[in-house]
Amino acid sequence: MTNHTGRLYALALALVVFFVAWAVVAARPWQPASPDPRLHALAVRQAQLRRDARLVQQIVSRQRPAHLSGAAVAPSVRIVNLPPLTITRTS
Amino acid sequence: MTRRTFQAMGTDVELLVDAPGAERHLADAEAEFRRLDRAMTRFRGDSELRRLNRDGEIEASPDLARVVALALDARERTGGRFDPTVHDALVAAGYDRTFSELEDGPSSPPTPAGGGFRVDGRRIVLEPGVRLDLGGIAKGYAAERAAERLAIAGPCLVNAGGDIAIRGGCWPIGVEGFTLELTAGGLATTGRDRRRWRRGGREQHHLIDPATGAPARTDVLRVTVVAGDAVEAEVAATSLFLGGEPGLPGVVVTDDGRTRLVGGLG
Repeated sequence: MTNHTGRLYALALALVVFFVAWAVVAARPWQPASPDPRLHALAVRQAQLRRDARLVQQIVSRQRPAHLSGAAVAPSVRIVNLPPLTITRTS
Repeated sequence: MTRRTFQAMGTDVELLVDAPGAERHLADAEAEFRRLDRAMTRFRGDSELRRLNRDGEIEASPDLARVVALALDARERTGGRFDPTVHDALVAAGYDRTFSELEDGPSSPPTPAGGGFRVDGRRIVLEPGVRLDLGGIAKGYAAERAAERLAIAGPCLVNAGGDIAIRGGCWPIGVEGFTLELTAGGLATTGRDRRRWRRGGREQHHLIDPATGAPARTDVLRVTVVAGDAVEAEVAATSLFLGGEPGLPGVVVTDDGRTRLVGGLG
């Protein structure tokens, strides 16, 4: 190996060492990692939606019409003098 | 008023909804009814109920687990008059295929019901030799679930071959020449005037007396009961047909054509 080739290898090695050192310093490993601000915004939005959902549920349960109520109810029936809308029979 | 009719669970199903433009909800309700039919019929080889009857133990869907739990509770509440373990008795009586395919054949000895089964969460376990028939109670349950779907559109009624579920509204229903106005709860009619066939030259019907394992011999032809929902009404109607006390409002028709209002109706 000539002196010239040796100098080229040394220069290349110095460049590699320089850029690796640059990358290490740029990453600032001595500072604590900060959370992704997008994740933080999502968490805030999720909490807000949960609060809204609870509020909507409270309003709906106060205003729930009878036809949407799934709770067991006491039967309410009487004989009337009207034409039937449907007929029950043995199936 | 919008109406849709279709065939499922071996009977005519009618959906009524008091709301305009409810086509999508009617389709939803029909799909829900058919889904439950596919899971709980004993006539399809791939149904969940058939798998339970074949294997004796399964991790069931929430719907099947719920219906079997309701049936178990109904058996206890009615002192065994309503009993889903009549499967083998029905088969012995000749009801071993869909009703439209039934034909006369040799008779088999009756098979008393009453075998054990339990539901633990979604796990259903049958004792050896026990098989379930969920016919009527599954129909009532499907009517209630379909009504839940339809109620999103507005006040509605689901009539599954006499098992009626309602949500809201005021529904005049024809029963034995009367019109009953139902504003809450459910209604069921059961009897031996339909779904009957001959076996060994003798008339058979689908209402098995669990104590004898044979079609019930009674002078009652047909009963209608109003209860908290269609499932409860179906259980109460079966119990009343088999000699139970008429605690709920209802109508009883006997062989001689007499009609009796019971349970404070009238």
